Amino acid sequence: MADAASTRMEAPLANESADELAYELRSAEGATWTAGKLLVGIGAFFYVGLGFAYFYLRSANDLNLWRPHNISAPQDLGALIMAVVLACASINVFGTYRLRKGMTADWEVAGWASVGGLLFALAVQIWELTRLGFAPGSSGYSSLFIAWAGMNIATLLITAYWLETLLARTLRLRRAVAEDGGLYTSTQPAARLWRANLESVTYFLGFVALVNLLFWIFFYAIV
Amino acid sequence: MAIGISKTLDDVGRSGNEPPAPQTSSRPAWMSQHLGTAVIGAVAGYAFGHWIGNVIAAGYPNPQSNGENDIAIVLALVFGVVGWLAGIGAFNYPLAKIIGRAPAPEAPEVGWTRFFKYNLDHKVVGFQYMIGVLLFFFTGGLWAMAIRTELLNPTNHYFGPGTYIAIVSEHGSMMMMMATSVIIGPLGNYLTPLLIGSRKMAFPRVEAFSFWMFMAGYLVILTAIPLGGFPTGWTGYAPLQTQATAGMDSYLVGFIVIGTGMICAGFNVAVTIINYRAPGMTWNRVPIFAWSLLAVSSLLTLATPLLATACYFGILDRTVLTSIYVDEHGGSNFLWENLFWFFGHPEVYIMAIPGFGIVAELLPVFTRRPLFAYRVGAAGMFGVALLSFFVWQHHLFDSGINPDMRPLFMLTTELISIPTGFIYLVGLGTLWRSKIRLEVPMLFCLALYFNFLFGGISGVFVSDVPADVTLHGSFFVMAHFHYTIMGGLMFAFFAGIYYWIPKISGKMLNKRLGQIHFWCMFVFFNLTFFPLFFVGILGMPRRVFEYAHNLQVWNDVSSVGAFLLGASFLIFIANFVWSIYIAPKKAPANPWGSLGLEWQTPTPVPFFNFERIPVILSDPYHYDEQDPLPVADLGGGLVPVAAGAVGSVDMPGEPGIEGTDPGGSNG
Amino acid sequence: MASGQRTSGGRVAPHGKRIVGGWITLSVVFDLLFGFLVGPHLPPGRMTSSAGSQQFDIKVLFLAAIPVVVGVIGYIVYAVVVWRDGRPASFEPPAQVTARQSTRVQAAWIGITTCLTLGLFTFGTIELILPAGAGGGEGPAPIWTPASKTVLPIQVIAQQWKFTYRYPTYGGFETDQLVIPEHTPVAFHVTSLDVIHDFWAYQLGVKADANPQSDNVAFTTAEQLGRFVVRCDELCGIWHGAMYNYGQVMTKSGFNTWALTTEHKLAANTKLLPPFAWFYSPSANGAGGSYYGTNATYSKVQVYGAATVSPAQASKPRAG
Repeated sequence: MADAASTRMEAPLANESADELAYELRSAEGATWTAGKLLVGIGAFFYVGLGFAYFYLRSANDLNLWRPHNISAPQDLGALIMAVVLACASINVFGTYRLRKGMTADWEVAGWASVGGLLFALAVQIWELTRLGFAPGSSGYSSLFIAWAGMNIATLLITAYWLETLLARTLRLRRAVAEDGGLYTSTQPAARLWRANLESVTYFLGFVALVNLLFWIFFYAIV
Repeated sequence: MAIGISKTLDDVGRSGNEPPAPQTSSRPAWMSQHLGTAVIGAVAGYAFGHWIGNVIAAGYPNPQSNGENDIAIVLALVFGVVGWLAGIGAFNYPLAKIIGRAPAPEAPEVGWTRFFKYNLDHKVVGFQYMIGVLLFFFTGGLWAMAIRTELLNPTNHYFGPGTYIAIVSEHGSMMMMMATSVIIGPLGNYLTPLLIGSRKMAFPRVEAFSFWMFMAGYLVILTAIPLGGFPTGWTGYAPLQTQATAGMDSYLVGFIVIGTGMICAGFNVAVTIINYRAPGMTWNRVPIFAWSLLAVSSLLTLATPLLATACYFGILDRTVLTSIYVDEHGGSNFLWENLFWFFGHPEVYIMAIPGFGIVAELLPVFTRRPLFAYRVGAAGMFGVALLSFFVWQHHLFDSGINPDMRPLFMLTTELISIPTGFIYLVGLGTLWRSKIRLEVPMLFCLALYFNFLFGGISGVFVSDVPADVTLHGSFFVMAHFHYTIMGGLMFAFFAGIYYWIPKISGKMLNKRLGQIHFWCMFVFFNLTFFPLFFVGILGMPRRVFEYAHNLQVWNDVSSVGAFLLGASFLIFIANFVWSIYIAPKKAPANPWGSLGLEWQTPTPVPFFNFERIPVILSDPYHYDEQDPLPVADLGGGLVPVAAGAVGSVDMPGEPGIEGTDPGGSNG
Repeated sequence: MASGQRTSGGRVAPHGKRIVGGWITLSVVFDLLFGFLVGPHLPPGRMTSSAGSQQFDIKVLFLAAIPVVVGVIGYIVYAVVVWRDGRPASFEPPAQVTARQSTRVQAAWIGITTCLTLGLFTFGTIELILPAGAGGGEGPAPIWTPASKTVLPIQVIAQQWKFTYRYPTYGGFETDQLVIPEHTPVAFHVTSLDVIHDFWAYQLGVKADANPQSDNVAFTTAEQLGRFVVRCDELCGIWHGAMYNYGQVMTKSGFNTWALTTEHKLAANTKLLPPFAWFYSPSANGAGGSYYGTNATYSKVQVYGAATVSPAQASKPRAG
């Protein structure tokens, strides 16, 4: 989504000066950067609602129905999802580190691996819903677990989409930026906006990993 | 990350100075996407979703036992919205992105058809929003008049109780949905770039998306009527929500849809104001209206997700039979109340702050005085925004939730009156020894100060826990928030419309008709809602269709006022149609003598707003000077400045332009 | 910041003195008129202790609000009348160029509004705590309770769309008549069987949400005899507007007679009722069975019924 800033939608003015172009480019760059942070904020408040509900129902434990019979979602699948998402975020950070050293291909491999990992985690999350030992309405825990699974599916899908569009753009940019040092050093506007976008998606992926870790703790570790 | 300015065009990647060849259209006319295809998509999506839902769930016990398949309804609504967006073309670029396509430069579209398309020009979107908001507002207004019709008589009924409660709920939900976007949608989208000296919004696609989501929300909430309505009012309290029939799904999906639109609109405006300010537009020079838009954007982006989450939980409860709000099975009805009001109270200020921004922006123009206490005013808006996250339980003083926390929430609630008071400080200080011109926008501004005074003071009454025991849930509360939203926000909205229509359309609205509209609206508004304070304090609960006989006189006064208030908008519509389409009168370039940057652009505003990126020289409130400096250098000032001192244009956050603002920074 | 610069060009009319003088005069006049003419008749009257405290609160708030309203509206009217410029399109600055900003005014404004706000908060808190919650719902475990040891518990059961009342200290009979004794602290235990309702006894100055699976306590002490109206104050479905009935404040002895008579009269009914509890759970077997079924084995509902409390014990019922 943040990438929408990257290019002017409209036909550029005929006689734009270099300074104006530079100024607008900086604005677009800043917008992508700000957008990434703001998306983390927006996402966080989606999950604040879930976290609030979790602790509210857990501490209220009305009629002892927060978690009767110590039900739990499948521990192995939950750990797998969480581990894969954390791994995706780590790989992406590592790829960015390699990119900074000029190894674009490494980042691309890491990026595609992350996308694959996110989609895998998503598939496992969906599959887990068929492996639950409880009915959705049987307790507070089971209800909120369903809610969490749904939100996580949506989040993983959006993240995978964002990362994938960045990778797709990378493929198209590769040749154009090869002459001045690759994506990380090129001063071309497309490359600069690409880097701002990369930074945003890295932040967001980190946020998604954090959310997965937190709610793994809530729903599997400390139930 | 400063790049050398000496590296020129090639470095910044333009292939040259030539604009791209104007692409007439990349696809044949019969394939173009517009409102018609959107409607087709919506209908097809609705039918498809309904079918899928029936295939999935028709055999499940729940739909069979209660004869209603909520899964089918929810899927129908969701796919309807998806079809609507696909039909208008919202997904074209997001899908092209998957294969790495960059957006193709598009030639600006001309002609009236652009208003029915997925247009990326913030001015077109602003105008679309204006029509959409008015549509929303008038539809909600018709429901309001239906409510007042029913309340003409305490015991004789014009509607059945089920119809009545559906109307009440529809009115509340539609007006709340509309009011969250009423200013940030039309005026925010249209004016943000003009106020801060930008050529575009940061994310034109997000901006167009937010509008089409807004209209999708309009359609979704209207589907509640054919689905049988919903009985919960706009608050949707939980056990009733879970119990309600299919119309409830429209409410839950509708608020998620409109919430997504709100998040997108706020996100876009916030990013734009932060990043796209023209050189020299330091935070000290940002117009107060832009400050208010920024404050409200922060609320829209951060509070609305909570509503979406809460509604999503509600949908789960109604479709896959979780029990998040079901007390008997481990949930809690208090949870909805908390989540809803955790969004709901920031939302109240989403509906107040832009109104404050408009009056603060307009007062200096019509008093020829600099804005008084500019910094305090801007800080006040952010103070309100911040505090609004910590007051939500004042809606629940009698609910039995955390009763020991009531003094704390009483404190935070009353603290809000301090930053809200700053708005009065700004207004009253600006009026001091000024030169007041009672143009139509100014009348609306003064009316806001009058109405909001009653709205705010009655707010202190309901914030006081002991007084709230009597006032909570009564018509007093109803009158209170109509005074703040209708009397505050909507008056500010009309102030803004009358003020900026000459800029937006290039035509002047008729002044005489405008005055008649104002006086009708002002008098009848007070006639409608002032009696409701009495009715409420005398013990009439909200949302009832039967009430005590001794309250009939006040109720009838209010009803008559409501019909006349409704009629007063006909004057506005007549004025709008007459002055813009039937007998247009060309507006002067700057009819109000404003120093604001938006008035320095040509009318109609060119496609790129500013031929050159303006360099801002001062804040726009130097009305006390005989010949104030121009607020900005519009004539390519960037070029000489940049040639001389690169650093000065480097960052929007730095005051770098020499010789500006002799009075020092404002405030 | 150009603080406090005064460029008084020539003679300046004493606007400030006029405004402040007019404001003080009008405020005092209106406050006195309101306090003496309207104040004693303000809703919700003085039928109970909580109604009285609410009336006092509303009166104080009005007295505080009137000067604010008078000040702001008076100022705006003064400004429009005195500083109006009727000429069309005259864009010159005002003749007297006044100070652009005044730090002193801003600081004073902030200071005054802050003091006013904190004062109102202190007042409201005292008025909430001293009269034992001022008649508002205080949840299942109220912390502000009446000083008296003898509190009469009355359970208010709300359901779509009617109120019924149970008197646990009189055998737990259930009736649709609400009768309370004079000069006796009463604890309304409000609960719901279905959706959220709100028990609003207007003249009693009592309002408490009725939540399913939850007990919400509100206290009051009747000080006058008479009838009062009970309305549902939380939207509860289509017949919300028709969900009301009436109650009565009786003398202590009259109440006791009524209660014992009714208990006796309804004894057969009471046997069929579920045992008295602070709230009621539906049957675990679902809506098909008995709604009040005792087979809700997971329920931690505290039973507080006919077997444990008799009229003789009415002098020491649970205070909350």
